[in-house]
Amino acid sequence: MIQNVIAFVEHKHGTVRRVSFEAATQARALADKLGGKVHAVVVGDGAQTAAEALKKYPVDQIHVSDDTRFLENAVDALETVAKAAGNGLVLVGNTMLGRDVGSRFAARVDCGMNADVVDFTTDGGIAAVMPKLGGLVITTCALDGDFGVAAIRPNVFSAKETSGAGEIVQIPSSGKASAITVEDEVEEAAAELGVEEASVVVSGGRGMGGPEPFTTILKDLADAFGGAVGASRAAVDAGWVSHGHQVGQTGKTVSPPLYIAVGISGAIQHKVGMRTSETIVAINKDANAPIAEFADLLVVGDAFAIVPELANAVRDAKAAHA
Amino acid sequence: MRPEVCALKILVTVKLVPDTNADKRIDPVTKRLVRTGVETVLNPFDEYAIEAALQLKEKLNDGSTVTVLSMTPATGKEIVRKALAMGADDAVMVSDDAVAGSDLWGTSVVLAAAIKAQNADLVLTGTQSTDAISGDLPGMLAEKLGIPGLTYARKIEIADGRVRVQRETDNGYMTVSAALPALVSVTKSANEPRYANLKGIMGAKKKEIKALALGDLGLTAAVGTDGAKAKLTNVATPPVRGKGQVVQAADGAEGAKIIVQFLKERKFL
Ligand SMILES: Cc1cc2nc3c(=O)[nH]c(=O)nc-3n(C[C@H](O)[C@H](O)[C@H](O)COP(=O)(O)OP(=O)(O)OC[C@H]3O[C@@H](n4cnc5c(N)ncnc54)[C@H](O)[C@@H]3O)c2cc1C
Repeated sequence: MIQNVIAFVEHKHGTVRRVSFEAATQARALADKLGGKVHAVVVGDGAQTAAEALKKYPVDQIHVSDDTRFLENAVDALETVAKAAGNGLVLVGNTMLGRDVGSRFAARVDCGMNADVVDFTTDGGIAAVMPKLGGLVITTCALDGDFGVAAIRPNVFSAKETSGAGEIVQIPSSGKASAITVEDEVEEAAAELGVEEASVVVSGGRGMGGPEPFTTILKDLADAFGGAVGASRAAVDAGWVSHGHQVGQTGKTVSPPLYIAVGISGAIQHKVGMRTSETIVAINKDANAPIAEFADLLVVGDAFAIVPELANAVRDAKAAHA
Repeated sequence: MRPEVCALKILVTVKLVPDTNADKRIDPVTKRLVRTGVETVLNPFDEYAIEAALQLKEKLNDGSTVTVLSMTPATGKEIVRKALAMGADDAVMVSDDAVAGSDLWGTSVVLAAAIKAQNADLVLTGTQSTDAISGDLPGMLAEKLGIPGLTYARKIEIADGRVRVQRETDNGYMTVSAALPALVSVTKSANEPRYANLKGIMGAKKKEIKALALGDLGLTAAVGTDGAKAKLTNVATPPVRGKGQVVQAADGAEGAKIIVQFLKERKFL
């Protein structure tokens, strides 16, 4: 039976990703219901700094490992902590790294794994709730056994700071050699807020006509909201914006509180990646674009005229509140 | 590890999925996907892995071979043939009623056993499937096989018994390498999958498709629905999203005003 919850903490040189704070916060809520403890696991370069940031979250123990092996360090640390706890649900972000770490841990300890989790139930054991088939159905999966992994969709669970000061515990070095050599790491774009994490996503499609709007008017609107720029596949395939921005079946699945689709027709493959957004606003020349069928508001007009005005209006509205 | 100068056995895992272009519908009573009338296709993500395998084989040009592996009902033969028509040398299908309903864990157990039986030097997979969209299988397989797993590769090279890949990250890439045998998941940025030409399609008919049952793999663990570690307990349909408002805007300023008003009502501003 699972009682403890273990949050795997993703960070870059000590700067923690928001989804990991969400995992830590959700871990507490689950552990309280299941009657267990909350652990956080932080590994790699900058782990100590990240652990300090975790102290503001309701975690009982923060396990720190300075092991810098790629991926293997995280799986080893999770295994150590989970086995010492005797049982545990590991929460990872449904991100590239989270999925890698979570899936390897699941195979290591032979447990179930649920991806893209948006909710949990705890009556009679822990179960994860996930939209499947692009949100057409909502499935619930019970995680049987002593261990389990749930990859939580970013931006769905809240992250709440508390006064709870977790105890920092050092994980002794394993001394193992790495099977994977990291030769270099290149950042092509400035570290931007990813579409998966943003609470407002402003996506552009073929209607944008070229690469420029993605760095000018769409970016400006996204910035006005403190959000991120997304894209349809047509825009990505045309080379206007990089694949990391693509929303949809072959891109990222997002469910922000607000999704704004600009010059996007709303093809089924795009729809499955964003239909679970809370509120969908579309700007399109064509009143009959398929997106009209599932947008909460479709404003029919020229994006190039509307978007800059909208960015100004959003900034004004926000300034009025400040 | 195998000797350095030696042909490689490259294995590509492929999956059968419902046609991605079809609008999916749910049977309101059974809450299951309506499969009648929906064609099945080769998981589009797997085509990048097949293409990557074929390019490596062509580049190595040393007698290296490409085998496709699929855990699929017998109906999946068509899909495997497509991979053979693209240029894979042969195929292995694990078709067994006992694997039906396997969860991620069960799938990883069966595929790992099948891969081990093939003695592959390099395993290539797609990054995810279009029906499950979890993206967790590559990592699980690597761990089950006890070999390095290099995921999200957009560039793959083989030299001196090692595989080196450019691995996509959220804001760029990293170069990682490992000794063979290893597993690599291939992204859509890696290549443009080739079409099977007529010669390939004809040739595929003569290629061997080996069928295996679970017993042939010497598996002892229970897989399938009963062995699942993550057990489906409920399937519900979400409330349907109603058709929203459609408003014509005379100009940019009016369009912006309509949206701001709407966002204020919904407390976004
Ligand atoms: C296997 C597979 C996977 C796919 N995966 C994805 C995926 O992950 N994500 C994805 O998005 N697509 C995906 N697609 C592609 C999808 O089918 C569509 O082709 C794509 O979403 C269309 O992109 P779009 O809406 O930007 O372009 P279009 O369909 O060309 O629509 C452009 C829209 O812009 C509007 N427009 C033009 N000019 C203006 C203007 N000045 N102002 C306002 N509106 C304007 C037009 O009215 C039109 O509605 C996939 C397809 C396949 C086959």
